[in-house]
Amino acid sequence: MKGERLGEFEEFTLLAVRALGDHTYAVPVQQYVEKVTARPTSIGSIYAALARLEQKGFLRSTMSEAVAQRGGKSKRVYTVTPSGLRTARDLHRVRERIWNAITEGGRP
Amino acid sequence: VTHQPRLPLPARWLLWPSPVPRESRAEVHADLLELFVQRRRDRGAVHAHWRLYRDVASLWLHPQPMGRTGAPRSTLAVLHDVRGDLKYAVRLFARQPAILLLTIVGLSLGLGIATAAFSMMNAAVLRGEGVVDPDRAPAILRSTDRSVATAWVSDEFLHLREGSTRMQVEAVLMEGARVGMAASEVDAPVRDVAFVSGGFFSATGGRVIAGRPLQHADEQQTGLPPVVVSYVFWTSTLHRDPNVVGRTIRIGRTDATIVGVAERGFSVPNNRLLWMPLTAHHAVYSTEHSAPPIIPRVLVEVFGRLLPNVSLAEAEAQLSGVAAALPGVATTGESAVRVKLDPHTGLGRMSSSDALGITVFVFAVIGLVLLLAGANVATVLISTAITREREMGVRAALGASRWRIVRQLVTESLALGTIAATIGLAFAHWAIPVIATMIEAPAGVDLAPDLTVYVFLGIVTLVSGVGAGLAPAWHGRGADLLTPLKGEGARQNRVAPQRLRSLLVITQAAVSVLLIVLATLFVRAALRAATVDAGFDATGLYAVSVGLGSSGDGSVGIRNFWARAISELQDVPGVAAVTLTEFTPFGDGFKHSITRETPARVVYLNRTRAEYFETLGLRVLDGRTFTRGEIVTKAPVALVSQSLARTYWHGQSPLGQILPQEIPLPPTTAPGKTSVIPAPRPVIIGVVADAITARLHERSAFAVYEPLDPASEIFARLIIRVAPGTTGIVQQVSQRLRAIDPQANVTIGSVAAKLEQEAARPRMLATLTGFVGLIAIVLCVIGLYGLTASVVGQRAREMGVRVALGAEPRDLLRLLMWDSLRPVVIGLAIGAGAALLAGRVVVAAMFFGVSPQDPMAFVGAAAILIASATLAVLVPTRRAASVDAAFVLRRT
Repeated sequence: MKGERLGEFEEFTLLAVRALGDHTYAVPVQQYVEKVTARPTSIGSIYAALARLEQKGFLRSTMSEAVAQRGGKSKRVYTVTPSGLRTARDLHRVRERIWNAITEGGRP
Repeated sequence: VTHQPRLPLPARWLLWPSPVPRESRAEVHADLLELFVQRRRDRGAVHAHWRLYRDVASLWLHPQPMGRTGAPRSTLAVLHDVRGDLKYAVRLFARQPAILLLTIVGLSLGLGIATAAFSMMNAAVLRGEGVVDPDRAPAILRSTDRSVATAWVSDEFLHLREGSTRMQVEAVLMEGARVGMAASEVDAPVRDVAFVSGGFFSATGGRVIAGRPLQHADEQQTGLPPVVVSYVFWTSTLHRDPNVVGRTIRIGRTDATIVGVAERGFSVPNNRLLWMPLTAHHAVYSTEHSAPPIIPRVLVEVFGRLLPNVSLAEAEAQLSGVAAALPGVATTGESAVRVKLDPHTGLGRMSSSDALGITVFVFAVIGLVLLLAGANVATVLISTAITREREMGVRAALGASRWRIVRQLVTESLALGTIAATIGLAFAHWAIPVIATMIEAPAGVDLAPDLTVYVFLGIVTLVSGVGAGLAPAWHGRGADLLTPLKGEGARQNRVAPQRLRSLLVITQAAVSVLLIVLATLFVRAALRAATVDAGFDATGLYAVSVGLGSSGDGSVGIRNFWARAISELQDVPGVAAVTLTEFTPFGDGFKHSITRETPARVVYLNRTRAEYFETLGLRVLDGRTFTRGEIVTKAPVALVSQSLARTYWHGQSPLGQILPQEIPLPPTTAPGKTSVIPAPRPVIIGVVADAITARLHERSAFAVYEPLDPASEIFARLIIRVAPGTTGIVQQVSQRLRAIDPQANVTIGSVAAKLEQEAARPRMLATLTGFVGLIAIVLCVIGLYGLTASVVGQRAREMGVRVALGAEPRDLLRLLMWDSLRPVVIGLAIGAGAALLAGRVVVAAMFFGVSPQDPMAFVGAAAILIASATLAVLVPTRRAASVDAAFVLRRT
């Protein structure tokens, strides 16, 4: 368990939800992640990541209204929570500091 | 109409059993479809399929519940759902108490009967008597060129036991003895006792729940003989005395110390209640006091337990070697004795065909009743399901999945099943003793339901509950959401459910007819049995057995006893005739010979004094009876019955002829010796009138009578004919015999009562099938009534239209009646066909010559069924036929 931290795939998923402008659902997320990582991603792993993120409190989900395109089936839409956003930002800052250190000669 | 894209079928199938939670399944399905459609558009069908199956597989790899915060669904939550289902079921049933009651009554009757039948069969056949690994405990049969016998002389047994190296050889002797709590007890009941060799318990695998089993050392025991009592004896006679070990009871002429209580279920052989060492036989029956423990010189049944890794053939060969060297055999001119091991006989095992016959019959009855109860519940549930179609439609429209609706239906029928099973079990508890008395189950049989029975009932309840719940669910399959919502009008022309309903009614009708035909046949057989002419007048005939046992104090004492007994009894006023015979008519035992012909005949063998024929009232038609000299010297002479003479000598006189070789005779003991010799072929000296003296239903009057020699008198019984109008004779005879020997175990039984009992057997079967048949009809009527009521209700609108178009109520009635009764008529035909087959195959022997094609039975059953079915259908159809067209049409 990664506890309250983010794994790589979880991070991609979280950012994809954010990038898709929130209120998005599993199918676009899967397509987005597949496109940016350029590796085949299964829908099952996306479901799993979304569920874990929600458990950790980084995502919030609601059931949407039924839409005609999906045969009248409703869908679960996800939004990034402030805590999710903060954690993603923290992670990004850590990476940035390390990269800066690398370009400056290895000292943090 | 737009074409809706759908997921490929295999993917849908794979999705269904995937670990995706049920409530998310629709969503996942939609997601997969969306991806599939897009990919097919962008990258082609092959890629889309490939990715689709990969995605479906990924659902197994990442079985994370979707969108659930917190823990996955707990068992508690599932239970909560079930509670909801149950609550709903209770509400529903409360609205239809009549249907609920009918269903529960029907199901409890069915389950109760099935449980009772199963527990009897469990006790009689399935459970066995407790021999551990019975295939390795074969009977040791004594086989010569001429005969195969289960009995060995005890000396021979001792030789076999000493010589055997491949198996443990043991012997058992079954007798009855008076068993009381104290020596002072008069007329204690006669109980089944087994006298066994020391290793009996280890060879059969019998265990004890208290004390110890009998052991080898018990054969040498001096002082009070030890006895092991059965579980049934301990619970019934000894009232579960916890300090039973060490207690003294009276058996025959001796006190005996209880050393152990056998575990429940152990009653080898033939439902024994008590086991004693063979060496105690003497003490139980001998008049001598302080009898030493010796093995009596009697015939015993021998069996064995194969040692580990020894095959049956190996042990058989080794024991045959021992048997060939038996002393005394060579001198008597008998061909070499061989040993035959048979794992299917001995130790009271039923012959397999007997066991099979009972099993088939009982299982058939169980199966039929269950089928009926199941079909009945299914019909009731279906008829409610039709009226609930609207409700199901609403539920489906509100988002309930098919599974959810099925679960509701199955929960309902399981709830019904559980209630019914509880009532059924109570019913079975009440019915088992009643049925046991009806079939005269022996005292040693433990009929109380055990774990096997409970497991059986559980499985049956589960299966019938789920089945009865699934039937209406199947009936409602493919139900669309809109039609039921639109109201009553649009529900017509549903072919499949109609067929299913008809099938259920057909089944019920067929089973009812089958059972009623069998019951009628048995009733006719019972009537016929009462009029079977046994060939002699049983009234006033009494069989007297005197428990002298086969005591070792020489047959002189016994001979004196019989001589005094006969002369004293002849002096009793009212006694018309007295004779000595080996077997009394319909008594405890009989000996028969199966002829070597096809078809084989059963010939009953008896050894008698000359007065036997006069006492029974059998006329000597030709020749003469035995002379005193022939009896004393055990001369090879015989009388035969008239029908036997007619069959083998075709109207010519058989006098002076030798008994045909086709009729094998069992070996006998040579006079004054203990070894066994082949029976000499007797010369026919007389022909007597036919008489049936054993197994009434076989109606075989083939009999061979040989003289009862003095050496065999230890096993003999008395027959007394009492002059008409004499009373109190039983007490007098008993007193006289006790005066001769105070310890004698006098039992006097009326031959007429035995005959009555024998004739009652088909009556018992008639009661059983009649009772079950009655229940079958009741179940059928219940189901038919419920079904017709609801179906007719459905067609109210149609009836309204017909009336509006000018149909008379009479026409409507005819139409509805015929529609409802058609499946009954089809079922009737099927049931009659099945009854023809069943009558021929299963129980032909029990019919006492009543033809299984008896037209009376068939016409009667058909009339009963049609009459009750018409009644069941008439009430609801009449109501529907007198419909007010205007009212019905306006309502819809």
